[in-house]
Amino acid sequence: MAKNDKMRKDRIQKKFKEEGGFEIDLDIKIKAIDDEFSEVPPADEMRVPLRQQVGSAGDPIVEEGQQVKYGQKLSEDEDDALTVPVHSPVNGTVKEVMRYENPLSGAPEPTVIIETKDEEREPYYDPMDPDKVSRDEMIERVRETGIVGQGGAVFPTHAKLKDAKDRVSHLIINAKESDPNVACDARLMIEEPEVMVDGIKLMAAMIGADNVIFATRTTEGEMPKLEKILKREGIEIARIRPNYSVGYGRLLVTEVLGKEVPDDKNPTDVGALVQNVLTAYAVSKAIRDGEPLIDRGLTYYSKDVGGKNLWVRQGTPVSKVFEFLGESPGKYERVILGSVMRGTWISDPSIPIIKAHQGIIAYKEEEPHPYEDQTWCIRCGYCNDVCPVDIYPNLIIEAQDIGDTDWLQKLNPGACIDCGLCAYVCPSHINFRPKMKKAKSETSKSKLKQI
Amino acid sequence: MSEDEKKARPYREVDTPHVHIGFDKNELMLKTFLMMLIIAFASVIVMGMPALIHILVALGSVLAVYTTIDSYQRMKGVELTYDSPASPLVAGMIVALCMTVVGPDLGGRAPYTVTALVGVLTMLVFKYGQGRYFRRKYINPAAGAKALVLLVLFGINYLAETFEGLFGGALDGGMIFHSHHSPFELDVLDPNEFVDLLEWGFTTELPVFGTELTATQSLFFWQTHSWIGGAASIVTLIVGAVAVYWLRYKWRIVVSCFVSMLVLSVVIGMILTGDYSIWEMVSMRVAFHVFTGSFIFMVFFMATEPQSTPMPEISQYIFGVALAVLTFAFQLYGIVGGSILALVILNIATPFMDKIVIKKAYGFKGKSAR
Repeated sequence: MAKNDKMRKDRIQKKFKEEGGFEIDLDIKIKAIDDEFSEVPPADEMRVPLRQQVGSAGDPIVEEGQQVKYGQKLSEDEDDALTVPVHSPVNGTVKEVMRYENPLSGAPEPTVIIETKDEEREPYYDPMDPDKVSRDEMIERVRETGIVGQGGAVFPTHAKLKDAKDRVSHLIINAKESDPNVACDARLMIEEPEVMVDGIKLMAAMIGADNVIFATRTTEGEMPKLEKILKREGIEIARIRPNYSVGYGRLLVTEVLGKEVPDDKNPTDVGALVQNVLTAYAVSKAIRDGEPLIDRGLTYYSKDVGGKNLWVRQGTPVSKVFEFLGESPGKYERVILGSVMRGTWISDPSIPIIKAHQGIIAYKEEEPHPYEDQTWCIRCGYCNDVCPVDIYPNLIIEAQDIGDTDWLQKLNPGACIDCGLCAYVCPSHINFRPKMKKAKSETSKSKLKQI
Repeated sequence: MSEDEKKARPYREVDTPHVHIGFDKNELMLKTFLMMLIIAFASVIVMGMPALIHILVALGSVLAVYTTIDSYQRMKGVELTYDSPASPLVAGMIVALCMTVVGPDLGGRAPYTVTALVGVLTMLVFKYGQGRYFRRKYINPAAGAKALVLLVLFGINYLAETFEGLFGGALDGGMIFHSHHSPFELDVLDPNEFVDLLEWGFTTELPVFGTELTATQSLFFWQTHSWIGGAASIVTLIVGAVAVYWLRYKWRIVVSCFVSMLVLSVVIGMILTGDYSIWEMVSMRVAFHVFTGSFIFMVFFMATEPQSTPMPEISQYIFGVALAVLTFAFQLYGIVGGSILALVILNIATPFMDKIVIKKAYGFKGKSAR
């Protein structure tokens, strides 16, 4: 091992330390961080959902039997501010436009099935010279190339940039990479720091932010190449606490700027825009190379294979990723898409990878199951202690059980960020998420009634 | 619905997170039991065979009820209330360590039947019963059972004293209610009588070195008269502090209760000095009010019982302060060991305390919650 590599490895945090002294083991992340990206080839048949972001699906603009090129638009809806186009991940033929299980909702939604002709990648759009185009043109390119937040929230990036333009003083780059099973952000920071920093500069130019802050959990010297580039470009590095929840956009603003984002406002309202490192990378590729957002980095983990960083095109069935790794989904009881803390457990391996998926994790039957021995609440208060937004999950559930709506309202379940920490630490293995969701919806209904 | 829609299978409704910290209720209970086992060991060294028998009787009675419930539920094929004996073991040990042993100087009385009765009531009524009917324990099981027995014995003893000869004074040796603890006979408020009481009840000899310990020293290190869980206060203090940190008990209750009792003891020691110097009286007051088993064991292992104590931070502080004040008041009134009553009263108030003050959630800190 080279001296630099060893030095970096020694500096890697082994745990995320949460409020109340609880810890999340980063074993998976640490194991995966040294694995170089491999590109998963497209499957013979790609299933491309037309909604891969917050907001609604665009209208399909291709027909069955139509030849499509890599990067060609499959959908469009310019009237909806939260809709972004989805692009063909391969050169091929549209086999079908149908409704198929959408990985975001689990419900049938418009999907384009494409028979792959070849794996060639020819940028569909012309490269742009940022010095020769306006800021609005660049933001439009971001929309046109279908870029959405890559941290998992998949909020359309152009909408955030538009909202922030000339309104915010700070662009905060979220390099926290909180999910304990994901190392693709960190890997990209090692492999492509130049492109990533270019994307950061482009976004800062688009919104006119004077201050750019690169917020990272890494320690000094852990990523020397990236640090050198950031220093060269005058980008401030904020070394933030190694807490899982700190990576949540609003909490990151508080962590970095010390400003609370009020419940009914956005980070832009307190002068900050938060963007993920992978998003910055995608922005640079879209502007400089004319590459739409078609693929993304993700981290695969299973005990047998270990941690693997993969570059996967949208629409690639999960089963194809397993096949590429010489694995079979059948040998696993649970396959989870996205974060191990927040992701979805899928039953059908033909479900496609989309822009939201930063990870795949596969558990065998004999591996621990979080809710196997669920018992009743002992009111230990661990869930309250660990909650990053200072709500009381167990009191919320109690209030819900006894139907005390006034009390429930005061407990503010609406502030829940769905991070899963309450369930993670619960010694009774209580599955808080559905109960919190119900409480959230009950209080919002009650608020509406009052209005 | 189209064929495609029919074909599309929804996700399995399995919720996040897909990992767990790995620390579960049984582990929490077993570790709590292990911590109390250290205290029990120290207590047996200090108090001898009576303490050991109390511990075995308490554990035995609680486990007997647990086994009966478990066997019945298995026979009926219903869901088991306890998936391991860890929680009953903790309850049994708390019962054992909150019982009183009277040292040989005071006759060495130790009615084990009372311990067995408290053990059975703890497990059957206040632990299993409360859980089954309320889905939550509102009253600390051991405290509830002990307080109930105390009140019954108090009533009987009062009748026995009122109608002398009817009971023949047979209840004088009552485990929980000793006649010398009668609120009408002890005067803890009077400084000189307080010192007499302390010397009478706690002055003892350290068997290893043959050293005579003052009451204050004895209260810190070697109590042969008091709650079993406080026989070696220093051990209880250290083990309790480690348990609070390691097992994340509600530390705010412990800290606020402990500090409040310390302050009250110092203040009363400074005000009511009697024939003694301030330093002497303060040290004796602190030793008595803070380091008797009824306080020091209770504050670490009973007042932190999660289900019967408040959740919000401020409420925990209020609970701790109120517990200290109430216990102190009972002690001054002569109800030594009245901490159990104080705890039960505050347990009952917990659902109201939960609602006193809650933290503002993120997003609402800069303005009042809507």
